Amino acid sequence: MRSPETFRVRDAPLWPLLVKELWEILGGRALWTMLLLMCPLIGYSFFQAVSLYGEASAAGQQSPVLASSLSPLDGVLVPTLGASYVAVTLLFPFVAIRVLGQEKESGALRLLIQLPYRSSTLVAAKLVAVLAAWVLSSVPAFSALAIWRMLGGHLSAPETLNLLFGHLLYGLLVGAIALFAASVSESAATAAIVALTFTIGSWVLDFTVAGHPGLLDWVARLSLTQVLRTFEQGLLSAGLVAGIVTAVIGFAALATVWLPPGVHVPNKLVRSIVCVLVAAIALGLATQIRLSIDVTEDQRNSFPIADQRVLATLAEPLVVTVHLAPEDPRYTDLQRNVLAKLQRVMPKLSILLASARQSLAANAGDDRYGEVEYAYGGRSDISRSTSPREILPLLYALAGVSPPAPASGGDYPGYPLVARGELALLWFFGALPLCIALVWWRSRRLPIDYRKLTKEA
Amino acid sequence: MDGVRYLVSPDPPIGRNTPIPVGAVCAPGQADDRVRLRVDSITKWYADQVALADVAFDIQAGEIIGIIGPNGAGKTTLLEALAGILPTETSDVQWLGTPLPPSRRREAMFYLPDGVRPYQDQPVGRVLSFFADVYRRSADEITDTIEAVGLTPVLHKRVHSLSKGYGRRLMLALGLLTPHPLLLMDEPFDGFDLRQTREIVGVLRKEVTKGRTLALAIHGLLDAERVCDRFILLTDGRVRGVGTLNDLRGRTGLTGVSLEDIFLALT
Repeated sequence: MRSPETFRVRDAPLWPLLVKELWEILGGRALWTMLLLMCPLIGYSFFQAVSLYGEASAAGQQSPVLASSLSPLDGVLVPTLGASYVAVTLLFPFVAIRVLGQEKESGALRLLIQLPYRSSTLVAAKLVAVLAAWVLSSVPAFSALAIWRMLGGHLSAPETLNLLFGHLLYGLLVGAIALFAASVSESAATAAIVALTFTIGSWVLDFTVAGHPGLLDWVARLSLTQVLRTFEQGLLSAGLVAGIVTAVIGFAALATVWLPPGVHVPNKLVRSIVCVLVAAIALGLATQIRLSIDVTEDQRNSFPIADQRVLATLAEPLVVTVHLAPEDPRYTDLQRNVLAKLQRVMPKLSILLASARQSLAANAGDDRYGEVEYAYGGRSDISRSTSPREILPLLYALAGVSPPAPASGGDYPGYPLVARGELALLWFFGALPLCIALVWWRSRRLPIDYRKLTKEA
Repeated sequence: MDGVRYLVSPDPPIGRNTPIPVGAVCAPGQADDRVRLRVDSITKWYADQVALADVAFDIQAGEIIGIIGPNGAGKTTLLEALAGILPTETSDVQWLGTPLPPSRRREAMFYLPDGVRPYQDQPVGRVLSFFADVYRRSADEITDTIEAVGLTPVLHKRVHSLSKGYGRRLMLALGLLTPHPLLLMDEPFDGFDLRQTREIVGVLRKEVTKGRTLALAIHGLLDAERVCDRFILLTDGRVRGVGTLNDLRGRTGLTGVSLEDIFLALT
């Protein structure tokens, strides 16, 4: 005979909750449908990338210089996983919303919140389920990488893992946003609208305000698509990782606040404001972390090692005043070739746009337009170049140090590969969807241990 | 609102880490020895409409108490407010004489809502296993529960494919797998025919003999009369009467009448 007892929050085992969440996400159609849709999406992107890379490689095989510009990261990995990014942006919110929305709509949430778990534990378990869903939905992308290797393609482990890590963080961020949306919405449809407002809204930010100076530039940086760009460039930025993790925890905390139905809305609003403030402070601190690692094989985000060493010894502040409009391609070149690299090696670097309202049209008659002024240690010089070959000597002259001797060897060889991706299409359009459908069918028939449920057994 | 009431309460509220007393006897003068749960006041407003108006009653150990009323009387609202899953304007509840805040109600009671089909894509057995594992139920306890509510034939079926009756049995089984001293059930006989209702009444009676207390919201007066020891008559969010059938007969001055007649007389 069972005697009545109370059950306290800390007494409950965690694993049944995790198992339940995993079963729930596997049991629904949303994840499997997304997986099936991702097969042709990623497959076609991979095929196109391999074909274009092959065409470029055919020319590159005749010229070592041309070959050295062929990087699988840019040529194959980024475009292939770019399709995954589109799917995660548009489809993954529906999968993640289901993790909570289904329980809300069926009323099971009223049972769940009575179980001996904290709300934060419930949301954390759901986030684990979202993570598992992301891993499963990345199977087509993983298979593309495997096919690339089978075709003889080169994969740099740090580059590849860094890019996958970026996509994982992006998936978690979208999942956390979707969980928050599901917790504040009464129906899954409303939650989907809220979540897509964040994800598709980011695209709108990219198209409309990116490249504009001042406040618009700051607003554009809130775009979720910014999350992946640094990883796609082969950088592992501690500040960015900390920022994304903070955002994920922040949205999860908001979901936790809005999960229990027994709390008055004004109380939830107050707690939400506290969460947002704490997250904003943490994000502000994360932006101050400058540490980043260039994981690319060709070290494209860094100056040559000898130059890096000399630049790191320059202790005084360097002020760079740019007389260029942000949308000017020369500014983009300068940013990529010089300023971004300087930022990584010189912590006391300040970059100023000469006029926050500059535009190409407005500066047509300005004689100084195009100039970049470098001020270091009370001395300054001006250049119109966007190449480090001209700017680094200028900086050494300003600092009064000798340029380092150019190091020989260690040049990036490039990895040209002429391969045909037609066979991959068979995999992505035929075999892989079939495998996924079979696993889906099998997952619905996985046996349960009925021995503990029936006396006869 | 809860905090204000606790300030004037003779006892401090049950704290975050204080264990909920299960069988402790209340201090003299604080509560009747048999009173397990005392509701001093629950008030709930929806906009400018009152759903529960200063509802007060108590629940005694080892009884089946029926919350009786027509549709819209506030039965479900009362159970949800009691369980702490619905925000209320006042919710002054004591457990064995000690104030119990809404955030800790789930440690003393479990609420089975009406019309819920949890985890519809999962087989019944998996849903039961989940609850049993959460509460670390033994194999015997699980099989006893499944046999008692008659779920054995549908263990392999998915929840969405269950009939209304089996869906109700599943919810009942989940409730029986929980270890809480007080079980709140909303319309537990909805979907059962007469024979099945009697069978389930037997299951509930057996559960009470194990030391549990049950509070059932029922709109069918015949069902209520069949299963409940005491009744709370509720209409328009107000308590119209509390007591056994004989108590209520005495209050109305009607002898030998059914619960239906008493209900009509009091409401």
